[in-house]
Amino acid sequence: MATISFDLVSPENLIFNDDVGTIIVPGKDGDLGVLPGHSQVMSSLRPGRVMVYSEDKNLVKSFFVSGGFAEINPEKCIVLAESVVELNSLDKSSIEKEIEELGSKESKESEEQLSIAKAKLEAITVSFYDKI
Amino acid sequence: MPSLKDIKTQINSVGSTKKITSAMKMVAASKLRRSQEKAEAARPYSSRLEEMLSSLASSAASGEGIIKLLTGTGNDQNYIVVPVSADRGLCGGFNSSINRETFKLVKSLEGNGKKVQLMPVGKKSRDFFNRVMKDQIIESFVDLNVSSTGYESALNISNKLQELYFEGKFDKCILVFNKFKSAISQEVTQQQLIPLDVSNSEKEEEKENSSNAIYDYEPDEETILKDLLPKNVSIQIFKVLLESDAGEQGARMAAMDNATRNAGEMIDSLTLKYNRTRQAFITKELIEIISGAESI
Repeated sequence: MATISFDLVSPENLIFNDDVGTIIVPGKDGDLGVLPGHSQVMSSLRPGRVMVYSEDKNLVKSFFVSGGFAEINPEKCIVLAESVVELNSLDKSSIEKEIEELGSKESKESEEQLSIAKAKLEAITVSFYDKI
Repeated sequence: MPSLKDIKTQINSVGSTKKITSAMKMVAASKLRRSQEKAEAARPYSSRLEEMLSSLASSAASGEGIIKLLTGTGNDQNYIVVPVSADRGLCGGFNSSINRETFKLVKSLEGNGKKVQLMPVGKKSRDFFNRVMKDQIIESFVDLNVSSTGYESALNISNKLQELYFEGKFDKCILVFNKFKSAISQEVTQQQLIPLDVSNSEKEEEKENSSNAIYDYEPDEETILKDLLPKNVSIQIFKVLLESDAGEQGARMAAMDNATRNAGEMIDSLTLKYNRTRQAFITKELIEIISGAESI
C-alpha cells in the first residue's frame, strides 16, 4: 500500500509532516477522505476534525482546525489551517463554558467564534474510528 | 587640566555604560535567534498560501465584495501607509530609516495629488508621526510583541485594514518595513498590500503549477478565493511583523556591538590620559623637591 505525504501548516509553524496512509479532511461541503493517488483538488475547509491514519489504517493523530484550505494532489496533501489543536488536548467542560459565554454576546465576531466552538464540541463528542 | 579624580570618575562611568551595552548586545543576540526561528517557522504557510493564490488569481477577472482585495477599487486616489517600526530605541538607524522613508513616500504621494493616511505600527513611528502629521493618523498599533503573541496581533491589524477598505476609506495600502537581510543588515522595503500585487509573488512557482495542475475546486474557485484573500492579507502582515522583529534585534545587536567597542576605545584613551596626568604630577613634585634641596 502506498503512502501520501501530508503537511499540516499553521501560520506559526509546521505542525505535522510525514508520509501517511489516509487523511480525512473537513471540506466545506463535506469530509474528504484522501488516499494516495487522489485527484487534484483545492478545497476550503470548515471548522472540524483532521484525522490522520497510518498505512495499516490505524489512527495516528487527530487535530481540530478552525478552518483553512487543503491542497491535494496524487502525491501530497497540504492543509493550511489558521488555528490547530490536537483533539485529545481539548477539554469538554471548558468548551461548554466558552459556548455559554459567547452565546450571551451578540456581535458578528462572537458569532463566528461560537460556531467554531460548537464545531469543537462536536468534534470531541462525536465518535470516530480508531481503525478504518 | 582635569584633576586625577575627575578622570577616574569618567573612566568609571564609561565602564558602566560599556557593561550595559554589552549586556544589551547579548540579549539582542539571543532574541535574534528566537525571532529568526519564528520567521523561519512561518515561512511554509505563507509560501504555500502564495502558491495557491497565484494559481487562483487568474480566475478572478473582476469582482465585487471581497474580490476587491485582489482587483482593487478601480481608483487610485486615497492611500494608506503603514510604517512598521520597533517599540524601543537603541537600535541604530532602524526606526529613523523607516520614519524617513515613510515621510518621503507620503510627501511624494501628496505631491502627486493623492490623499494619504497613516497607520503606524510600533511606538517609535507612532511618536514620530504624532509630531509631524498628527491629523493624518487614523489608527496606531503599539506594544505588539509579535514574538510572544504571534498571529493574533497580525490579525488585529489586518481586520482593521479590511474594515476600512470595505468602508471605502482607501484604495491602496502600502507597508513600509525593514526587510531582514542578514543579522547585521536590514533593507527598508515598500510593499503594496491592497490590492494584492500578484505579479511579484514567485513567478517560477506559478509556471511550475500551471504546467502540471488542473485542480478541481471545492466548493468553487470564487468561494475559495473569498476565503483566501483576507487570510492572505493577515499572513502578509504577520510575515512583515516577524521580519521587522528579527531585523530590530539584529540592528540592536549591531548598534550595541558598536557602542561597546567605542566605549572600550574611550576607556583606553582615558586611561592613557590618566597615567600621563599622574606622571606629570609626580614629575612636578620631584622638581619641587630637587629645587628645594638645591637652594639650601
